[in-house]
Amino acid sequence: MNLTRNPALIEQLAASYALGTLRGGARRRFETLARQDPALRAAALIWQSRMASVSELQPEVAPSAAVWKRIENLVDGEKQAKAMQAARDDSQQLAKENKGWWVNLNLWRALASVGAGAAVVAVLVSANLNTLNGKLGGEVQALGGQVQTLNAKLAAAPEIQYVAVLADDKAAASMLVTFDPKTNSLTLKRVGGFQEPADQSLQLWALPQAGGAKSLGVLGGDAVIKLTAAGTDVNVPTLAISLEPKGGVPSAGGPTGPVLFKGAMIQTAL
Amino acid sequence: MTGISLTESVARLAAYLYSWTIPLMTPLNPIHPDSTLIALIDRVALADEKALRELYEMTSSKLYGVAVRVVTNREWAEDVLQEAFINIWRIAGDYKASLSPPMAWMALVVRSRGLDFLRRRASDRADKMQELDDVISDTVEGDSPNPMDTAMASEQARVLHHCLGQLGNKQREVVSLAYLRDLSHGELAEQLRLPLGTVKTWIRRGLEQLRGCMGRLA
Repeated sequence: MNLTRNPALIEQLAASYALGTLRGGARRRFETLARQDPALRAAALIWQSRMASVSELQPEVAPSAAVWKRIENLVDGEKQAKAMQAARDDSQQLAKENKGWWVNLNLWRALASVGAGAAVVAVLVSANLNTLNGKLGGEVQALGGQVQTLNAKLAAAPEIQYVAVLADDKAAASMLVTFDPKTNSLTLKRVGGFQEPADQSLQLWALPQAGGAKSLGVLGGDAVIKLTAAGTDVNVPTLAISLEPKGGVPSAGGPTGPVLFKGAMIQTAL
Repeated sequence: MTGISLTESVARLAAYLYSWTIPLMTPLNPIHPDSTLIALIDRVALADEKALRELYEMTSSKLYGVAVRVVTNREWAEDVLQEAFINIWRIAGDYKASLSPPMAWMALVVRSRGLDFLRRRASDRADKMQELDDVISDTVEGDSPNPMDTAMASEQARVLHHCLGQLGNKQREVVSLAYLRDLSHGELAEQLRLPLGTVKTWIRRGLEQLRGCMGRLA
């Protein structure tokens, strides 16, 4: 059958195709022919367009006011998620480029956006900048003009080789971790509201690229915790914190309780 | 096989579609709502939330009407309308490439979301069947004269409205429902409790009449 010589048949098939009543094998044959034949394809597009207007002709019904509220909430949520993702991408890019990370405002914003806020500043420079922390308050945005000052003071501060923000499964930051290779010390600061039960302990684990988790120590109940670790121990992609029986479990067996917080180790400028 | 390029066939199609809208161009108000809607969709593509709000205010009743017709249940239709607007928010940038009148494009988004919704519901639809049947038999048996509303419709829709108006009420309804709910002859016959032959005849004659009517206006 030569369709191109039968305009009435072309129209009939195209109309049934667009309406949706052309089904099964007939529909598949039509689609194959339409891919080869511009006239058939054009007829199908025209009829699809005509049929689409059936939707336009339906009677109006007013929806309840709640619908817009729900749309608005979802759109707001999506915008925030995008902003957060953009900030994360920035910080990852920064880590890749191995730049002078502490002068980059985007990293500060990224850390702020995952909930660490001014606490980040406090821990990073806790050795000698505690007074500055007090002045900074919660407004990390305001840091813009102070980056130069910070930069100068950081030169005298402990060397920070790694930083990690450990977050729960809802991406809420709960623990900020920094590593200073000069003193082989890991500093952990609790930034979320989480407090383990009195009869249990949090345990910090290094998760290497290959092989099992290695315990880096058991956390005390304080807001800021110091642990000793070798540089090779913390040269891992990820850190995690599990909830364990009081006093922790042996490193060899790996975590026995649930992993509550997890985060990537970001290597800072070397 | 004629050897025309894709660009050429698209251009021809656009010209054809355009020429075909001219004969019925008798808008009630000189500023057609299409241009307003297109401007709003363009702004939505730039993540302008205020524009989304305006677009919603102008079109939500129309689009909710579509959703109600597709899914037959007001509560479900609200979910569909919500999903459709989130979808429009995300893909507004694609509108320009569609060549469709803005209301037709948005109604198409609503219909797609509605059909997705029905497919998701298909598993637990047995208990809702009664509800669905009632709505459909109401609409098919009712003698409402061409109930369509062209207030916000595109020129293309006005042509279609005119041509659908030439069909009998039941015929028009069966054609509309076949499209809106993406139903086969068999599904239409089953849901409308009509003989399969009747459905096939109505659809075939309906499409023939539409073809004649729209062909004359082209």
